[in-house]
Amino acid sequence: MDLRLSPADEEFRAEVRDWLGEHLRGEFAELEGAGGSGREHEGLEERMAWERELGAGGWIGLGLPSEHGGRGASLIQQVIFAEEYARAGAPGRVNHVGEHLLAPTVAAFGSDEQRRRFLPGILRGEELWCQGYSEPGAGSDLAAVRTRARLDGGQWRIDGQKVWTSLATQADWCFAIARTEPGSERHRGLSYLLVPMRQAGIEVRPIVQITGTSEFSEVFFEDAVTDAENVVGEPGEGWKVAMGTLGFERGVATLGDQIGFERELRRVAEAARESGAIERPEIADRLADAWVELRAMRFQALRTLGSDDPRAASVAKLLWAPWHQRLGELAVDVLGAEATLATTAPYELSDAQALFLFTRSDTIYAGSNEIQRNIVAERMLGLPKG
Amino acid sequence: MDFSFSEDQRELRATVRSFLDRHATSTVVREAALEGDGFAREPWQRLIGEMELTGLAIDPERGGTGASFVEVGIALEELGRTLLPVPYLGTVVAAGALTGAVDSDAAKPLLERIAVGAAAAVALDAANGAPELSGDGESATLDGSVAHVADGPHADLLILRARAGNEPVLAAVDLDAGGVAVEPLPTLDQTRRQATVQLAGAPAVRLGGGAAAARARDLLAAALAVESVGAAQRCLDTTVEYLGERVQFGRPIGSFQALKHRCADLAAALEAARSTAYYAAWAVDGAPEELPELAPLARAVCGESLWRVAAESIQLHGGIGFTWEHDAHLYFKRAKASELLAGGFRAQRRLAAERAGILAAP
Repeated sequence: MDLRLSPADEEFRAEVRDWLGEHLRGEFAELEGAGGSGREHEGLEERMAWERELGAGGWIGLGLPSEHGGRGASLIQQVIFAEEYARAGAPGRVNHVGEHLLAPTVAAFGSDEQRRRFLPGILRGEELWCQGYSEPGAGSDLAAVRTRARLDGGQWRIDGQKVWTSLATQADWCFAIARTEPGSERHRGLSYLLVPMRQAGIEVRPIVQITGTSEFSEVFFEDAVTDAENVVGEPGEGWKVAMGTLGFERGVATLGDQIGFERELRRVAEAARESGAIERPEIADRLADAWVELRAMRFQALRTLGSDDPRAASVAKLLWAPWHQRLGELAVDVLGAEATLATTAPYELSDAQALFLFTRSDTIYAGSNEIQRNIVAERMLGLPKG
Repeated sequence: MDFSFSEDQRELRATVRSFLDRHATSTVVREAALEGDGFAREPWQRLIGEMELTGLAIDPERGGTGASFVEVGIALEELGRTLLPVPYLGTVVAAGALTGAVDSDAAKPLLERIAVGAAAAVALDAANGAPELSGDGESATLDGSVAHVADGPHADLLILRARAGNEPVLAAVDLDAGGVAVEPLPTLDQTRRQATVQLAGAPAVRLGGGAAAARARDLLAAALAVESVGAAQRCLDTTVEYLGERVQFGRPIGSFQALKHRCADLAAALEAARSTAYYAAWAVDGAPEELPELAPLARAVCGESLWRVAAESIQLHGGIGFTWEHDAHLYFKRAKASELLAGGFRAQRRLAAERAGILAAP
């Protein structure tokens, strides 16, 4: 047990810090903090330009092996990058789905041809991806997917509907699971398809959220097409690939997120000092709780880093999602009555209000916390299935 | 960056656990705690003798094995699982405090005594009070009363926070010396007995000033953190096992989500507590500069995790959990006593947040 960074890792940290210091200037410096919780819609054009800057610097897909165009960086180096990135106040990343979900999936399960076709666009920060998993009838119960696809000559023809798709309005591509074997049930007969978003057969309808903004959309497939070779893994084996995507290391992202959480917490503490709310013992206690629990989450994420055990991811989510939600509540509580007013008509919200509202989704998306509790209870504690 | 235990450390854990499985059974614990005077003497003799656990982190020059506080933490966690009533926690915290004060010639012989089997208690929290140290060198004496000395009835030495005028100091006193009266007290938590120690011109040793006293208290906090994690894990394991066995409405009650989800929340909080405790135990030797913030934080996070698990354990066991016969109440009482002696976990959390600059120091 040695929880210090090695000299090589410290060097890497300095390299990241220097690069960010040199490149986060001019128009990019103005993006500081853009795209945080509840603000995913802000400054997308400029943030895409920043993604390309990151790509040119070789900072996207750090963990991918060099033969796939990455740096083969260790997990701890990926953590260092995520931490320094957040510490620098650099803008919210746009292509999380492409970089952290699709790229490792294609690297692990895809063909050489698919790797050549899809990885460079992600690593250059040019091609945006969205994820087509959830459907109106398949949320927590993902295996209830009803979207269908059939091979017709050299193409898959796709019909159905996806929902809660992040960034669907901007994405160039979607990875979707669809039922490709008629009459199949549950996790059998599904395929993992890569589908171009800009085509007549796809309609995207943004969902207006409780924040009044839209990050998520509904995606309708009506005779949408993609080339026959755009299936990852064997046709009918899509469940295995989809579960692989869900199982990829999340510790790195978690540790990076925590630096962002700390910034948010320090801002809430600052607001509490300004409003005088910090003088109230209840508020001071809640700030102390938030700090203490954030530290505990960090130690937990460090201890489980590198574990591909899905139970570790479930534990992490049970910790951070309600924590973030409570921080959102605290953010408006320290402002008091002031937080009942929108900043501008008709419904422009402050950071505190956006955090307060957006964090309601934290305990719902990426496997609701109730599903996570089932996973922990059954797979970690060994309690019997209901 | 490596958060895993070494081969040797895993072996140490396995050895201690297998020893405790044999010598610290529920029967042994209950006999000593509920029927005896709160001291399991025979296992204690083996722990310091054949297991050499009290000398773990003592310098080989002073007669110890020269391991780090991580190894001490492993032993504490394993003992925490059992609640075996032995003065291990005070002894290793005292050894750590004495090691920190080893520049003082007076500390060396005390450390050597611990290395050959002396038991120590510590009195470092506000609840203990702070007697007056007067004189210096060989003529230093202590006067006053020390309250709530955990394991005080069974210890040979006491390391305590005292004051010299208005200055806090860290001092040591031999509990067999003249001018010392140890009064055993009946306790809510019978697995960890207490004493009041009356000092009237008792010969004492000054080990250091306020910084040494603060560091000693941080060691105590880190030690309690790992101990609590061990106790909480055992308590949760027992509860989960019961939920898998107890059948109502024709199925094991552990299959009901209402109960499952509560266990999942407890498990998640306990995992975070475990990580925090391990980090704090490592920081004692590995990153001492981080300890002032970490120690109260770990004490609160881990102590609260034990409290939650212990309280839920009684509820989830139903009626049997409310009986004297079941061990659930032992963990429940240990949890609350640890919290009360800390001055409450809220205060510990505030302290951590102040030391991190989230809250202003008062």
